Amino acid sequence: MSGDVLNQLKSSLLELDMEGALAAARMVREDRQVAVEEAVAAVSEALKVVGSRFQEGEWFLTELVYAGEIAKEVMGLLSPLMETGAGGLGTVVVGTVAGDLHDLGKNIFINYARSAGFKVIDLGMDVNANSFVNAVKENSPFALGMSCLLTSTDGEIVKVVEDLKKAGLREKVRIIIGGAALTEQFAETAGVDAFAKDAITGIDIIRNWSGG
Amino acid sequence: MDFRERILAAMNHEEADRVPVMGLIMDPTTVNLVLEKKPVDFAGLLKRPVWGLLIRYLMNTNWFWRRMYYGNFAGSLKSAIKLGFDANWTIYSLMKLNREPESALGWAWHDPFGRVWELGRAPDGSMAVNYTRGLCETEEQWEAWVEQKKPVYEALIKNVRVFHKKLVEKYGERIYPIGYAAPGIFENSWQPMGFVNFTKMIYQKPDFVKRIVDFQTDLYMKYLDAVMESGVEVVLGGDDLGQKTGPLMRPELIEKLYGNSYRMVADRVHEKNKKFVFHSCGNIYQLLDKFVDWGFDGIITMEPTAGMDLGKVREQVGHKLVLVGNLDVSYLMVRGTREEVDDAVKKAIKDAGRGGGYILSTCHSHPFVDPKRLEWMIDSAHKYGKYPLSV
Repeated sequence: MSGDVLNQLKSSLLELDMEGALAAARMVREDRQVAVEEAVAAVSEALKVVGSRFQEGEWFLTELVYAGEIAKEVMGLLSPLMETGAGGLGTVVVGTVAGDLHDLGKNIFINYARSAGFKVIDLGMDVNANSFVNAVKENSPFALGMSCLLTSTDGEIVKVVEDLKKAGLREKVRIIIGGAALTEQFAETAGVDAFAKDAITGIDIIRNWSGG
Repeated sequence: MDFRERILAAMNHEEADRVPVMGLIMDPTTVNLVLEKKPVDFAGLLKRPVWGLLIRYLMNTNWFWRRMYYGNFAGSLKSAIKLGFDANWTIYSLMKLNREPESALGWAWHDPFGRVWELGRAPDGSMAVNYTRGLCETEEQWEAWVEQKKPVYEALIKNVRVFHKKLVEKYGERIYPIGYAAPGIFENSWQPMGFVNFTKMIYQKPDFVKRIVDFQTDLYMKYLDAVMESGVEVVLGGDDLGQKTGPLMRPELIEKLYGNSYRMVADRVHEKNKKFVFHSCGNIYQLLDKFVDWGFDGIITMEPTAGMDLGKVREQVGHKLVLVGNLDVSYLMVRGTREEVDDAVKKAIKDAGRGGGYILSTCHSHPFVDPKRLEWMIDSAHKYGKYPLSV
């Protein structure tokens, strides 16, 4: 029985069946024959498969986004029941740099990171360097993610790196960047730790960093 | 051979005297730099009590908008002429200035399709705009929006017709102004409600999505007709179908939702004996065969930062598509050295220039594209682009 529910949860997610996934999540809530943590792990496993399918070119952005939305709804039902709360893999601070009001890539990253077990502090869009530095100071994340779609705003990333250095925080946090305007070459010159060509690659990188 | 003959030869996959060079100039910052004009601090003026009121009033009147927008693209064409381009794109938009507390400057444009464009300040103080979000989150909001905007769509089509025609009449003897029918059917489907919302609709409300696509196709055909009245033999159209690593949607899904619309677009352009060049940002290798199948004559953009390589594209599609592009605007045309620009032009011509069917251009435009580097690009194109090619 418990295996059936977990299988339904996973297969519904992988078939992009929102109703099926929510029905399974409700069963977990109501019957309590499966530990919520097991159900959350099943969601996380399913999203890993989704991520692989995307990276291998088998699935496309619409499928990645919709799977993420299903996971978000399912987690909305399951997370309140977790005793220790979600986010056991560590804290990540994320935002889109100042002058940039695009958040699709950032939000996909956040959705998958939360479902994978990270605690995510979302600073939103148009975030200035000072706010990034303060968030690192206040939350002590192991990773800071910055998104940037516009070439005109990529200089903001360099500014954040410099300000973190000045605040003595650069060595305490790993920095990952992503977005249409950015390249591996830019990441090297900006002095960040990693560039992610897409949200799923970003999740793989922070998962490696956290040892999760 | 003049610029028009050069462009048309390329569009017919013939070798002209040299590879033609097209400009994508549209940003006031670039125009001001090229024409040595003092930038207008539009954002600053908006904040001033009297000027702000006046600008807000004027901007939202059709006659002032038309004049201002025409002036902007007249500047783009003058800049492109001064730099020595053979062609430049011309794009029309109709926006309304609205209070936007979340925006950095407190103001944003709303377009008639239901999109919000963030109003920002370019490096020289000129205004810069970027799409940020949609205004219609639900089916009901979308229905109400398009119903309310019907008179605006009529005004828009009328403005488009006048705008492109006037630019061709005024500048067509000195440059080839290629009208761009934008935004396209795909962008107009999803952007008014945001990508996540639209994605949910695809899975949960397919009939509604079909209604949106049908509506936008019908509107786009009128828009396209209006652009084509300029008399120019080539028309640009487009939709950003790609993201950094591949198409935004499964190609089969794009075919299902938009295939017929794109075929209708290509057919309509061909009925008028014109050529259709499709703009799409992102990584679009998986869609190239679709473009051929839909009847497109060419593609423009092919962003290097999304992994697009002209040589690979040519290898995949041969001469079934004219290629327009694809010099990088993230580094090369912003901070690249003279030698790097020279090498990139040489490579582009080598990869795509043989047998005609190639027009050199940047892959896009934005306020940080440096006019000096545009000059280098043109110089190098003249140096290496002479037919028969020796690169």
